[in-house]
Amino acid sequence: MARERRQRVLSAIANSDGTSPVTEHLCLAAVDLAGVTGAAISLMSGADTEATVWATDGIRNVEELQYTLGEGPGIDAHHTGNSVLVPDLRQVTAWPAFAPSAMEAGVTATFCFPLQIGAAGIGTINLYRDEAGPLDRDQLADSVMLADVATQVVLGLQAESPPEELHQLLSQRPDWHWPVHQATGMVAVQLHVELPEALLRLRAHAYANDRRLGDVAADVVARRLRLEADA
Amino acid sequence: MIEQTASTTREQRLAQTFVELADTLVDDFDVVDFLHTLVERCVELLDVSEAGLLLADSSGALQVMAASNERAHVLELFQLQNEEGPCLDCYNDGEPVYSENIADDTGRWPSFAAAAMEAGFQSVQALPMRLRSEVFGALNLFSTGLGRVTDQDESTGQALADVATIGLVQERLLSEAEATTHQLQGALNSRVVVEQAKGVIAEQSTVDMDEAFARLRSYARNHNRRLSEVAREVITGTINARALTAD
Repeated sequence: MARERRQRVLSAIANSDGTSPVTEHLCLAAVDLAGVTGAAISLMSGADTEATVWATDGIRNVEELQYTLGEGPGIDAHHTGNSVLVPDLRQVTAWPAFAPSAMEAGVTATFCFPLQIGAAGIGTINLYRDEAGPLDRDQLADSVMLADVATQVVLGLQAESPPEELHQLLSQRPDWHWPVHQATGMVAVQLHVELPEALLRLRAHAYANDRRLGDVAADVVARRLRLEADA
Repeated sequence: MIEQTASTTREQRLAQTFVELADTLVDDFDVVDFLHTLVERCVELLDVSEAGLLLADSSGALQVMAASNERAHVLELFQLQNEEGPCLDCYNDGEPVYSENIADDTGRWPSFAAAAMEAGFQSVQALPMRLRSEVFGALNLFSTGLGRVTDQDESTGQALADVATIGLVQERLLSEAEATTHQLQGALNSRVVVEQAKGVIAEQSTVDMDEAFARLRSYARNHNRRLSEVAREVITGTINARALTAD
């Protein structure tokens, strides 16, 4: 039974439409198997460190929302090591900032699975759907297995990299997240604060101005935006 | 009636054993404890006198991982099977190997047979610890009596050996995976730190990110230090960002 499921999951990955990176295949397979609208894989380490490795079309915004706001079901899944299943965001009181913003972006249901080996979590694979409703039993089991496979893929890729270097396929979208950290460094100097505080200020600015963290960061890096000390 | 009770007790004890072993697999896995429990249960549940578990190390040599009896002459009996003996044959072939009367097998295993009989054992069985095509070692069962273990005991013994194999493989995989996970987190953290340092340099020296990176890398190379280490020191101010140049 488990073997058949694994076969099905692996076939879905191999047969998906992605043009090349395996990370794209993983996300597309997830969408196909779970019957959802979009999927994203993000790596996480510690409180403020994350990198979205891949997101299917139109999903990047919602995925990043969690990291802009510092809250969300994916973040919870990573911290607890348990999957977080939300068949209807309208019914939950958790994530008072993320939930309404996600819904505004057209997401009504989300299912987040930790990428976990033993006690160590490396991130999550998050599924998003426009319509409310749970995953059925097969979709759920397939998703859990896909998360397992994704974990092994990510670790497998990293095992091939020299130490201290993220595998190329895991840092393929440099424009997505590195500017956030660059901007954090700049803001830390500008406002004479520590890095965590600088990131908080960037997030606060993004939220207050209803902008994506990545866009705010890009503006800071391009020196189109400078945060004021009392912002 | 009495027979039935004895068999039920044995069944219960067997079931208990599997549950116990399965539990160990899931929770904090202690290899030594796990294997020790296994050999103890073998002696308790099967009609044998002593049991030992041998695993092949990275060079293929069989090492005693657990024994029901720690006395030197018994341990040696396991250990010398690196040269010859049922365990070695079992490990090489991946199939059960047995001797119903060790005295008849002095030709097959001259040193082992002598040592086994000296220790008071008359029969021996080795069951492979095997997962699909890979053999990891062998479970060794000794008896002071003659003859082979019953079919039922052999299948129970094999089942216990299988559980041991799964536990060990899982533990090995977990260790490797955890090592890679730490490496991944390390790489991610290092990358983030480097990006943050670029921002600090860019702001302090009013340069763009490419120039900032060039200066960071130049310092690291000139001082033969890791990029992420230098980045951390730029962030804390230990290294003066403004003093960095690209040459």
